Amino acid sequence: MSLFIEQLINGCALGSLYALFAIGFGLVFATLGILNAAHGTYASWAAIAAYWAVDQLGLPFPFAMLAGVAGGAVLALLVDQIGFQPLRARNAGLLGALITSIACWIVLDSLADSATGHQSLSFPLPAYPSGMIHIGEIQFATMQGISIAAMLVVTVGMHWLIRYSRFGAAMRAVGWNEAAASLSGVNPRRVVMVTALLAGATSGLAGVLGGVTTQNVSYTLGEGLMLKGFAAVVVGGYDDVRGAAVAGVALGVLEVMAAQYISTSLRDGITYALLLGFLLVRPRGIFGGVAFTRA
Amino acid sequence: MSDLLQVENLQKSFGGLTAVADLSFSVPSGSVTGLMGPNGAGKTTVINLVSGLLRPNRGHVVLNGERIEALPPQHIAARGIARTYQNVRLFSGMTVLEQVMAGCFLRRDTSLFASFLGLPAANAARRAVARHALELLEQVGMAGRGDDLAEALSYGEQRRIEIARALGTQPRLLLLDEPTAGMNAQESDGIGRLVHSLRDGGMTVLMVEHNVRLVMDFCDRVTVMNFGRALTHGTARDCMAHPEVQEAYFGRRDDAERIRALR
Amino acid sequence: MSDWFQDLWAAYRSTLGFAMVNAFFSLSTYAVLSAGILSFATVTYAAAGGFIGTQLALQAHLPVLLVLPASALVGALLAFAVALVFLRLDSHWMALASLALVLITRVVALNATPLTGGVNGLSVPLFFPFAALAGLLALTAVVFWRLSNSWYGIAARAVREDPAVASTLGIPPRRIQTIAFVVSGAVGGLGGMTLALMLQFLSPETYFINIAFTMIAAVVLGGSYHWAGAILGACVFTALPVIAQAVLPEFEKVLNGVALLLIMIFLPRGLIDPRGWKLRRAAKSP
Ligand SMILES: Nc1ncnc2c1ncn2[C@@H]1O[C@H](COP(=O)(O)OP(=O)(O)O)[C@@H](O)[C@H]1O
Ligand SMILES: [Mg+2]
Repeated sequence: MSLFIEQLINGCALGSLYALFAIGFGLVFATLGILNAAHGTYASWAAIAAYWAVDQLGLPFPFAMLAGVAGGAVLALLVDQIGFQPLRARNAGLLGALITSIACWIVLDSLADSATGHQSLSFPLPAYPSGMIHIGEIQFATMQGISIAAMLVVTVGMHWLIRYSRFGAAMRAVGWNEAAASLSGVNPRRVVMVTALLAGATSGLAGVLGGVTTQNVSYTLGEGLMLKGFAAVVVGGYDDVRGAAVAGVALGVLEVMAAQYISTSLRDGITYALLLGFLLVRPRGIFGGVAFTRA
Repeated sequence: MSDLLQVENLQKSFGGLTAVADLSFSVPSGSVTGLMGPNGAGKTTVINLVSGLLRPNRGHVVLNGERIEALPPQHIAARGIARTYQNVRLFSGMTVLEQVMAGCFLRRDTSLFASFLGLPAANAARRAVARHALELLEQVGMAGRGDDLAEALSYGEQRRIEIARALGTQPRLLLLDEPTAGMNAQESDGIGRLVHSLRDGGMTVLMVEHNVRLVMDFCDRVTVMNFGRALTHGTARDCMAHPEVQEAYFGRRDDAERIRALR
Repeated sequence: MSDWFQDLWAAYRSTLGFAMVNAFFSLSTYAVLSAGILSFATVTYAAAGGFIGTQLALQAHLPVLLVLPASALVGALLAFAVALVFLRLDSHWMALASLALVLITRVVALNATPLTGGVNGLSVPLFFPFAALAGLLALTAVVFWRLSNSWYGIAARAVREDPAVASTLGIPPRRIQTIAFVVSGAVGGLGGMTLALMLQFLSPETYFINIAFTMIAAVVLGGSYHWAGAILGACVFTALPVIAQAVLPEFEKVLNGVALLLIMIFLPRGLIDPRGWKLRRAAKSP
């Protein structure tokens, strides 16, 4: 029984990373209409930034995390303003932004590969909380607890921000129609920039946490998150923070449980079978069908 | 005169906003019928409902005795309804002739496959369609402009190309949504004469029009809408004399006088 | 002179071969794009065409010249099934869903060991003359030329620019887009098989995201408003890494990405842009 619960926690911790990634990806897709292939690279670079903060500057872990998150956010803002902003002026649509994001993905990925010396780095041991948390019979890594807590905080915060705050209303307005939004007194440029920052920060958070828990700081970190986080976007629906969170966690749990109780080799197969099922049966995600169509 | 189009108790709402509320009117066969009403009255929504781009929440659209409100737009087009758009919606990147050819899709008289293979019969049919398209361009006064890129032309010219494109489907009923918006008096009269010649050729026209003089001169019948409902039907002269129409269109008399006083 | 040519040929023969194979993929992507659909499912058709075609050759000993049409047929049928599901979605979802399909394809390929050889992959000891590859591409180009000059071509352009307006002209958007999917599937399946013949080896990693992304980029780079743009884009996109490798091997990929970025900024409608030509002509003549 305690093995089952520990595996459940393992799954939730892993799924939290997918969820964090999916929230940011979905936010950009719904609000800015960008299918951002470069979203995973923010996570890789955030992990690298956090690693440098620990390794070069000797900062304590909370500051390293902050450095990583800030790094992801700033990188996302740079990519948006350099890569995507010129497209907005001339209405390049989904396709133009996609190509640009692919270009950024190629550049940032290969730079990240160079930055880590073409290898996978791992955080030195005393630099992060490596202890275990014991609750009765059950024990799990502190970092896993931190991952789950971070995911919960971000989900609740983002959901509140988008649904109930004035800024969230502005974001939704921009998602509907930028011209209409600017008529109603929203400054679309600012909404775009804050959205990019938030998306980069969540992806960065997933990157730092993933870099520590999987002991992998390299460009493959972001690629891995991208593949699984993307599944969470489709299953959860890109226009709903809760959907992305639930789907991300569910996929993480499913993956861990499948590996534990069915077979390691079928782990990915089950994830993507679920994805296929959703495509066929509920193509708009768990909470899909809620009114949010782009005109 | 029998009715080509009947709209019965039509209702359409967007979320909380009711754009068309329990609207009934008819378009007699072979007439030019005007649809008037202040901005936001629901005229464009009616055109969208009749052409099938929107589905009504309630009510019927009847074309020649057949209910069509649940049909997809391409089937409605095949039954003989064509339209233009209030904000011209030409295809980007196409030349004038290509736009009209696209409008002739229904009348291509050959299968997609035969035309892909380039069979002689298909090529002959295609040439016939191209000739017809050139005639349509001449009819709307755009002869010789077939090779121009449509989006490089003036607004008035684009409107006329849009009419030619709609005529390509060889409609029985032509829906025009503010065809003279942004045109000067001379150009508007041109559209009016074009509409008359189409009617004399046997076509029925339903046109949304703001210009009272044009409605008076060119529409056989008028339906006036406000807030999604029909205020009145009849000849243009009768409708304009109707007190509610006066109020809807020109504001209340004392308002109008006050505005005049302000100037 | 002839020596010089021989050397050049030896050095760049395979680059040219891959350019042609990539041209099939970008034409497949163009086929749906030209009817207003952004789909990455070309990878899926390619995998199906490649693996099934290879097995037909290895197990059923079908000659290569019969395997190729079989691969095209497999791709077309699969694309028809995909169209049935995807055409219910709006364009943003379709793009997402097709990307998901690519991920699913890889996992299926990894697990369908009898068909694909699983992680170990499949060796493809088949010979296919270079000239035949060129001939096949030429034939495909003729198909696209005919398509674009037929009624289908006019209808597809209308649907791409404004499906609602097209439908009020009697053009059925779904039907046109279904045809686009089937064409995309046939050409994608063909491309998958030619890739197998070029590489002489297949694995689940052969058909993956990188094909999807590079091919869409190739189409946009070459010009997504004309079929020749897809072919030109594939050539440029295949040559670019080779050039970058020669110029700055350390930063080959960065150079690729930067080139793509610059093209998006300065040539957003691609190298072949019929509308741009017409606009320029309109500006010249008063
Ligand atoms: N697609 C739509 N979604 C939401 N509201 C709409 C839509 N189309 C029209 N409306 C609303 O319906 C009302 C009637 O609009 P419309 O039919 O365009 O009026 P008219 O053409 O008479 O000026 C307006 O208040 C308009 O804002
Ligand atoms: Mg209107």
